[in-house]
Amino acid sequence: MRGQGFKVSSEKKGEEPYMFISGIGIVFTRGRGIDSLEKALNQGWASPSLTGLIPTYRVSQETLTDTSLSKKIRRADRFSRMAVLSAVDACRDSCITVNEMGKLGIVLSTAFGPHSTTFSFIDDILDYGDANVSPTKFSNSVHNAAASYVSSVLGSRGPTVTLSQFSFPFQNALILAGLWLNEGRCEHVLCGCVDELNAVMEYVCKMKLKTATDGKIMPFMFSPALLSVPGEGGAFFMLSKEKCGNNYGEVTGISFSGKINGKPDITIIDSDGMTGDETLYRETADSGSMIAGYSPLFGSMLVGSAFNFAAASLMLKNQLAYECPVPDNSSGIKLCAATSEASIDRINCVKICGSGKISTIKMQK
Amino acid sequence: MKIVISGIGAVSAAGSNLSENLDSLRYGKRNAGPVSIFSSCLPYPVFEVKYLPEKWKFEGMRTLSLALVAAEEALNDAGLPIQLSGFKTGVCLGTTVASQLNDMDFYDSFRKSGSADLKPVDRFLKGNLAEAVAHTVKATGPVITVVNACSSGTDAAGIALSWLKSGICDIAIAGGADELNRVPLCGFGSLGILSNSLCAPFDRNRTGLNLGEGAGILVLEREDFYIRRGRKPVLYLSGYSSAADAYHLTAPRPDGKGLESAIRSALSDSGISPEDVCFVNAHGTGTIDNDKVEGSVLSRVFGENIRFFSTKGYTGHTLGGAGGIEAAYTAAALKEGWIPASAGFACRDDEIPISPVTENTNVKGSFAVSTSLAFGGNNAAIVIERA
Repeated sequence: MRGQGFKVSSEKKGEEPYMFISGIGIVFTRGRGIDSLEKALNQGWASPSLTGLIPTYRVSQETLTDTSLSKKIRRADRFSRMAVLSAVDACRDSCITVNEMGKLGIVLSTAFGPHSTTFSFIDDILDYGDANVSPTKFSNSVHNAAASYVSSVLGSRGPTVTLSQFSFPFQNALILAGLWLNEGRCEHVLCGCVDELNAVMEYVCKMKLKTATDGKIMPFMFSPALLSVPGEGGAFFMLSKEKCGNNYGEVTGISFSGKINGKPDITIIDSDGMTGDETLYRETADSGSMIAGYSPLFGSMLVGSAFNFAAASLMLKNQLAYECPVPDNSSGIKLCAATSEASIDRINCVKICGSGKISTIKMQK
Repeated sequence: MKIVISGIGAVSAAGSNLSENLDSLRYGKRNAGPVSIFSSCLPYPVFEVKYLPEKWKFEGMRTLSLALVAAEEALNDAGLPIQLSGFKTGVCLGTTVASQLNDMDFYDSFRKSGSADLKPVDRFLKGNLAEAVAHTVKATGPVITVVNACSSGTDAAGIALSWLKSGICDIAIAGGADELNRVPLCGFGSLGILSNSLCAPFDRNRTGLNLGEGAGILVLEREDFYIRRGRKPVLYLSGYSSAADAYHLTAPRPDGKGLESAIRSALSDSGISPEDVCFVNAHGTGTIDNDKVEGSVLSRVFGENIRFFSTKGYTGHTLGGAGGIEAAYTAAALKEGWIPASAGFACRDDEIPISPVTENTNVKGSFAVSTSLAFGGNNAAIVIERA
């Protein structure tokens, strides 16, 4: 009856893998598409934008322009564009045709939602009064507008849900996707995360977080107040019950507990300065596995787990251990210090929340 | 594995608890009036909650207050303590307003001066609905806040159903909550779908919806766990499904195929056919488009004799709270064997093949359906079973 955590996995029943990763789409500061992430992993750290209140990793307007989709997303805001482009790319990357998709589910998770449009709508209220506001802005400010654009663009009529979480937004989305697949509600689920930055959020980050003035997140310094560089973007995954498409690997379980466990080949940690105290991540060193963290490539985000998960998927597929972009390491832990071929069977993606709750996504080749 | 509805809680303009809500439905009370909890020049009537207990009042976090009022009632009804740290408990709640950082004063100050008091931000960060409720009840299982617009509460119940069936928790607190807020009031006003008078779902002369606020919470438990607690199941949440229209941001798909798919899949999830359903608690907002599509779909799926009603005329449209409140009403109605008159309905619309019930009506049967349609083209349905 008692429980201090829970896990969802195929392991306890000895069944088939929990779900397969058959496609990835990503929009982030370094561009669009899984190739952009691969390129960033190979090239290493790049300086963020230093023109705002604080250093940030923003997505360029050029990245969010797609002439092939312009008619369908002409009224979509930046948040929805990041969602649509990453979701559509995950679909394309999976090589699964629309006809093969059967009942496609969509799970979009976000911490803050399309707040730029909400603020723009409030501008209308403040400037023009309650009765003279834009219905288009209001429609786009609703949290599930982005998922609606995704379903419309793809012509998907399966279950579509948007979640808003500060703690474990990607992990909870992944669990739901796995349940839908295992219940037979869907044959595939497009599961992903999106968050955006704007001037208000930059101000909030400046006041609430310690930011790295040199633009370098140092994921392995394990300080109680790790320095952050806020980022934005979208990362979607086509998850499938059966092995298909562009197979990146398998998710075998997702657990929540008060401790870090398991001994994979590589442990990827989400430390990025967004959580109050990130010293708990130091315990990953005790697992004996090689440690990696890629938040310096995309920035600090509450949905950052999705981006590290994308990196993990690439590592499994390519059998490459990518060099940590900012390897400063005060604890002497064993890092992925250089990009090299490796025999990688299992990767754990670890996220620790402010409350000390720990989530582990277990992946295997 | 069957999933028991072991506790029900509801708060809305119709009442401070489920019993008061049912009384309003029974006696046709419609407690609407002008907005009083914030300033607005908009003239539309709204359904406000007039009383919140002191213990659950939090400044600037009205949605959380509403959710906790209903959650406490539901936990009491289930015979469970308000602190659930000894159990595997999940929390899945739907909302719209509580997911947005939409504090007017904060934003106005920021845009004027480039700085602002951060208390509203702190409240927002502490106020993620499911996370805040989970923190209050010390839940250690999965936690999700669903932001699927007006179907959020129904989707939340459906997600909790999946959690429980899979065994990742034994208990789930599920439903939805939303406060009345100036941003959606202005937004719905801009869309031209607010009524100047009391809403009249499915009526020929309907002119739009009224906004409301409230919360509806179900406590759900795995049947084996519930029986081990020495209890006998009375109600089950037996099915759920959702489907997207893939059509428009705010308008429902005219052919209603998304809603039809959601209802038929929910029935299939329950292992029943349309004839097994004794009534439908419809979304029924009172807008031209929603009611036309929904009425046509209900007729198509269940036939012309299906008994159905909308309770928006008693509560207003409570957005993310609607699915939870209507699930609570549906469960209570199935248990008590009666359904209320569909408030506001008087004249049949020739474009809607069926009409809602116009007086309180006794019902016999084992299954009932509650539907939700949402912005973004989402459609959701749950099936509730009487043991």
